[in-house]
Amino acid sequence: MRALLLLTVANTRSFVRDRAALFWTLAFPLIFVVLFGSIFSGGQGKRDIGWADLDGSPTAAQLRDIFASAPNVALTQGSESDLQAKMRSGGLSAIVVVPKGYGNAVSAGRAGDAATLVVYTDPTQQAQTAGTVQLVQGVLAGVNQRISGQAPVVGFEARTIQTQNLSFISYLVPSILGMALMQLGVFSAIPLVADREKLILKRLNATPLRRWQLVGSNVLMRLMIAIAQTVIIIAVGARLYGVQLSGSVLLLGALVVLGAMSFIALGYVIASFAPTEDAANGMTSVVQFPLMFLSGTFFPIDSMPDFLKTVARALPLTYLSDGLRQVMVEGTPFAPLWVCFAVLAGFLVVCFGISARFFRWQ
Amino acid sequence: MTSRVAEPVIHVEDLRKTYGQTHAVDGVSFDVRRGEVFGLLGPNGAGKTTTVEILEGLRTPDAGTVHVLGIDVARHADVLKERIGVSLQTAALYPKLTVVEVLDLFRSFYRRGRATADLVAMLDLEEKRNTRTKELSGGQRQRLAVALALVNDPEIVFLDEPTTGLDPAARRSLWDIVRSLQSEGKSILLTTHYMEEAEILCDRLAIMDHGRILEAGTVPELVDSRFRERSVRFERVAGLDDASLRKFPGVSQVKYENGEVVLFTRDVPATIGAVLAATERLGAEPQNLAVRRATLEDVFLDLTGRALRD
Repeated sequence: MRALLLLTVANTRSFVRDRAALFWTLAFPLIFVVLFGSIFSGGQGKRDIGWADLDGSPTAAQLRDIFASAPNVALTQGSESDLQAKMRSGGLSAIVVVPKGYGNAVSAGRAGDAATLVVYTDPTQQAQTAGTVQLVQGVLAGVNQRISGQAPVVGFEARTIQTQNLSFISYLVPSILGMALMQLGVFSAIPLVADREKLILKRLNATPLRRWQLVGSNVLMRLMIAIAQTVIIIAVGARLYGVQLSGSVLLLGALVVLGAMSFIALGYVIASFAPTEDAANGMTSVVQFPLMFLSGTFFPIDSMPDFLKTVARALPLTYLSDGLRQVMVEGTPFAPLWVCFAVLAGFLVVCFGISARFFRWQ
Repeated sequence: MTSRVAEPVIHVEDLRKTYGQTHAVDGVSFDVRRGEVFGLLGPNGAGKTTTVEILEGLRTPDAGTVHVLGIDVARHADVLKERIGVSLQTAALYPKLTVVEVLDLFRSFYRRGRATADLVAMLDLEEKRNTRTKELSGGQRQRLAVALALVNDPEIVFLDEPTTGLDPAARRSLWDIVRSLQSEGKSILLTTHYMEEAEILCDRLAIMDHGRILEAGTVPELVDSRFRERSVRFERVAGLDDASLRKFPGVSQVKYENGEVVLFTRDVPATIGAVLAATERLGAEPQNLAVRRATLEDVFLDLTGRALRD
């Protein structure tokens, strides 16, 4: 155990003292997030809110006027379904639905379904959602006070709706995390081949150290970095662009670990066939660029031409990024989540088998 | 104690290893006794490293048996690795870790061992303890490689070409380290292609070439088995002619080198007596009179038909 621990520490030290490795695994993905984020996220302009009035009473019209007069709000009136379609395509940030019977309920001073507004927001746009909720709460507090003097009669029920194309940045953040995990794994080939070339692996072989300890320490070190990457990318996405994590943290953790391990295994496959550190450098580039660009990292696979779709379907990163989008921002599935897990697990097993067969220690 | 000295710590019998068409090791047998420094001397490509790496459990032989510390290496290399120390031909070090970090790391691989601080002191690495290994000089790297071979306080230390590429001062400091290891009771197997190193350090050595051991023994044994004659040398004396020199008792051959007369003889006292008598008759006395036996270099040249070079 002590050997495993110290070797993990040694690997981590070597990694942290290697500026190029640090740049590629930590800074490079962040540059993508920040660069694309600031290009595509747009400014904080007017809040476009859809207004669906199912009641048609003067009381409802009164409520509409109060919303319309709120600062920075543009109301668009329409039917509930039209507005939902518009919100999906990105034209609206939220929808307020006034239920049938609202006017009567208010005049009777009666709380309940009829007095409950429905508010749709995008869960991935947490900053915007919070703003909308605050706005609605503020307006309703005023209305409630006017109606009864005290007891809040009118309340609202929040529902979520997934906007298509998320916003670009919500699409991008999980994709970049997928890319970063892929690179973290694939790049593990380079120090491994370097250690073999410098005869460090041979020297270790002259000690009682077991091979599983050696491989285990490498994997452990990379997994720690994978978790650090995940935390950093999610934090930056949330802080700068309000992309909030909407799914299960546990599921995300499982996917990050499985994804990182699959690509570390791919790194070992590369290391099995790369005779020198330079060759390993070249081979990682050859492997990582197609993965990066053809796995739907920067644009949805559905928008690709058919033959590229076929390619994307064959690439493991497609399933990691797709799974991450599903887990992190409720992205539209390209493949069901269980398929994502299954493909990654299968890929891990195959890569492990190949490197167990072909990897040379000296 | 005497029985332990006699017991070999390494026993190699008819070892063979072939790579393609090349017989890297071609039927090698030798013993190393407890507490001795044993050397494998030979040119590059002689099969020294392959032999040593088989003993260390790093390579599998095609044929032959190897017992190190009584352990069958082919079967129980894992057990053996706990008890031996290894320094490879090229010092293999994590470039971004410091001296102390690498030592602590390697120490963790073994059940028992030696404190890092002791090793740092013993190998004179105190000033460099927090230096990254890639910034060490050649001599320091080599000393660290030897330190790594000692972290488990091994019974046998394998040093493969420990001084290759080092300057004379660094080489001497490494020799001192080898001697102090021997004085601690460790057995040492080293390979070298430096004649001087073999002669100075090794209690016994084996001369290897083309995968075979040509001759083995102590340096005097090796020399005596090949060259019974000694050379008697002195500065040339005017009037002492070649014909009379050849008639001196015991002399088989006469040569002249750098203004010196060199007489090869099987009877040193008789030859010297004749030299002294002859020069006295001429009213002179021999300057720089010296007796030399053949060197290891002469043996090597005689065995392999070529000189060893760096």
